[in-house]
Amino acid sequence: MGHQYKAVQWNGNKIAYDLYTVAAVGVFITVFMAIGLQTQASGHVADPVILLIRALGVTAFAMLTIILAIGPLARLSPRLLPVLYNRRHLGVTTFLVASAHFGLALVWYHSSGPLNPFVSLFISNPLYDSIPGFPFESLGFVAFLILFVMAATSHDFWLNNLSAPVWKALHMLVYPAYALLVMHIVLGALMTEKSMLYPVMTGGAFLMVSGLHLYAGLREWRADNGMKLFKAKGWIDICAPMDIPDMRAVIAPLPKGDRVAVFRYGDKISAVTNACRHQNGPLGEGRVIDGCITCPWHGWQYRPDDGISPPPFTEKIATYNVKIENDRVFVDPKPNPPGTRTSPAIISMEGTPSG
Amino acid sequence: MTASNGIIDPQKKNPDEMFIGWAPAPSVDRRFLLAALPAGLAASAGASWLIANELDDPGAGAWLTNATHQVTGVLANHPYPMIRLADPKAPFGMRTVLVVAQGKCTSDLTLSEVTGQIVKASGVLVQRKERQMLEVPLFLGDWLSVLDANVENAQALSAPETESLGQAQLAGTIMDSKCFFGVMKPSLGKTHKACASLCIRGGIPPSFWARTRDGRESVLLMTDAQGGPMPMDILPLVADPVTAQGEIVRVGDILQFRADPGDYQRI
Repeated sequence: MGHQYKAVQWNGNKIAYDLYTVAAVGVFITVFMAIGLQTQASGHVADPVILLIRALGVTAFAMLTIILAIGPLARLSPRLLPVLYNRRHLGVTTFLVASAHFGLALVWYHSSGPLNPFVSLFISNPLYDSIPGFPFESLGFVAFLILFVMAATSHDFWLNNLSAPVWKALHMLVYPAYALLVMHIVLGALMTEKSMLYPVMTGGAFLMVSGLHLYAGLREWRADNGMKLFKAKGWIDICAPMDIPDMRAVIAPLPKGDRVAVFRYGDKISAVTNACRHQNGPLGEGRVIDGCITCPWHGWQYRPDDGISPPPFTEKIATYNVKIENDRVFVDPKPNPPGTRTSPAIISMEGTPSG
Repeated sequence: MTASNGIIDPQKKNPDEMFIGWAPAPSVDRRFLLAALPAGLAASAGASWLIANELDDPGAGAWLTNATHQVTGVLANHPYPMIRLADPKAPFGMRTVLVVAQGKCTSDLTLSEVTGQIVKASGVLVQRKERQMLEVPLFLGDWLSVLDANVENAQALSAPETESLGQAQLAGTIMDSKCFFGVMKPSLGKTHKACASLCIRGGIPPSFWARTRDGRESVLLMTDAQGGPMPMDILPLVADPVTAQGEIVRVGDILQFRADPGDYQRI
């Protein structure tokens, strides 16, 4: 949580994460160069600069594929939450690798000529009216600009100053960027190289990312189906109190499209929005630790009764009024302003509720 | 409404432990990571090996940047800068070395004052099989000196024998000679199209690369139909498979393919 801004708020897990990322990128590029620079049976040897451009491009695409797959995968298995935790650093590293790919390609293919390299990038192949001939470089450039904007605004400073919805919308541009990169590869490398491995791997990556997101969407859609039952005005019947595991939550859709996370901690039940103030992480998939609801994505914490982060932090999320009647938990679908204190519903010893 | 009816219940899979970035990892996550992290590195290496191992052959040619190469001969500037050397072992007793500038701006070389003179030139040799090219700095004084002496067959080098080999319909690819001779490997295909186009725009001679019916590589220097420099109208067709009707002309030891840009068609 960010009560003050630092360039990077390091901790042991982040350092380990970044070191591992650098190691994996290093291994990939080193192996790529070592294999690619081997003399062919024909006696020919590849240009190391072109090989490096390719290695960096493949690395950046693979990293972006992993980044997009992490979200839905971490929903499928909590074992992958450590990969999700520092995804922002993985994103910035991806941008740096993509920058190296772009910079080297710009210098090697477009500089030292009669045109400005940036002009050459867009006009040296003028076949914009042809699908197979389309200048794939322009697609990569637009994707690179998106990655730049995302990397530049990745810090919590921008998250807070742009507001979470704007920041989230901005960072959803990663999906058009990924689509542009797929087309950058399809209309570039895949139209040059003969091996079928490349279309299979590119298509596989695209299908994996699409499939995971479709699956995640299907889960949401199934939850939304349940929401039809909640169209009636007034308090919403969620479940029996003991259906909620201790220190955990159930997540319920609300009529206006939001989701509420209903937590039980001991004999108390409180309800808050399911969206974390930080990056819209699914609070209801977290747990209560040290008396605070803890987001599974980055560990941001909120008190269950008022939705305020514990001091010295000041973040606030919306709370919902909750009550227990006839051994059922009910939530008022109208959200309270962020940080509004509510009275937890108390599970009585006899199962007779109060609150 | 129960948790199983339209309500997501994420707790069933992992009721006890949850990874939090700022806290020590739970033992279940540590065990998982101890297995997954080395597997991830192995997967990175394996995927990289697989992808790099499948790359196309980068093609022939060499850019011999670790040595300076010297040639002595007659400098010509039409249709492109070149130096013709006497070479008794070469076909027709001469060897033609194309001259290009460093980078992609050969048209900035000002050679008119030394055209037709016997020169000694030094630069970086670019060579693809028997075809040679000398890469030189833009400033003449850095690489070229006019010789007072005569050379063997100076007359033949100044005005080499020209022979028409007839009209031909060729199918192949338009390349920029510099990258194709060995500066870039690979220098073929769409990923190199923009670079090849920029090189030709900058005055680097275009070559027509075709394969004969028996699979041998055939490289012809491209000119317009009159034997002059190829107009820039050809640029959109660079690096694409094309076919063209034109005349094949031998000039000394070099084969030229003479056709106007309008004679080329994308296949």
